[in-house]
Amino acid sequence: MPERWTDYLTIFMSALAVGYMVYEIDRRRRKLHEVFDVLGGQDAEVTEGLASMVENGELRPYTGATVA
Amino acid sequence: MLQQSGVAEPPSHAEQLTGPIAEEPLDAPRFQIFVIDAGWHSPARKVLHENFAMLRSLQTGDPIYVLSSEKSLEFTRRHPSLIGKGPVIAVHDLNALREAGTGGFHGFRLCLGLLRSEDQALLALQLFARFLATHRRSVDLEAEIRRNLRREGIVGAIEIILHHEPREIGA
Repeated sequence: MPERWTDYLTIFMSALAVGYMVYEIDRRRRKLHEVFDVLGGQDAEVTEGLASMVENGELRPYTGATVA
Repeated sequence: MLQQSGVAEPPSHAEQLTGPIAEEPLDAPRFQIFVIDAGWHSPARKVLHENFAMLRSLQTGDPIYVLSSEKSLEFTRRHPSLIGKGPVIAVHDLNALREAGTGGFHGFRLCLGLLRSEDQALLALQLFARFLATHRRSVDLEAEIRRNLRREGIVGAIEIILHHEPREIGA
């Protein structure tokens, strides 16, 4: 058992630091997964929509230099 | 205003490779790349427009399809989950689509519109271009993406511990 109040303070501050790191890592991980997303079954409709635009000739490979 | 053309993409040259290599001719397209930009005025949009020529020059082996603003808007209306994420660059993995259809892993996308600064958007675009170029002939793309994301997470954790300036795109 800690004997001095400063020991309690150290333990509390350490727990706070670890908690912050866990929170921050999780926050960044979530953000990264939002920005860079893997396409899976839930995206099938979006993928099929784009693929059908290519198949029916609505979209053709782009050869311009800019999108503006 | 977008211009679309029917001219076929030139074949690719040998590329830098990482991981196992797929047994395919070098000039066979591996990906289909789609740019969906409904027109939100954002730092990400500015970065995409300023660097699109570079992105295109680096990605010569796979066709890039650019949806016009009107088409992007119409497509976003039909798929509201994309609202607020654009410009979006969606990459369809033709190998995965051929093998398993759209039921499982079949590509990835970069939602540039979620990034709030030009620096973040540019870094994301550069990482994205590098990933595309270096993983074009990967056999197990899904595993490599997940490994990369995990590594980014670990690097991010180390940076937090060392109090380094955040360099990752999700910071």
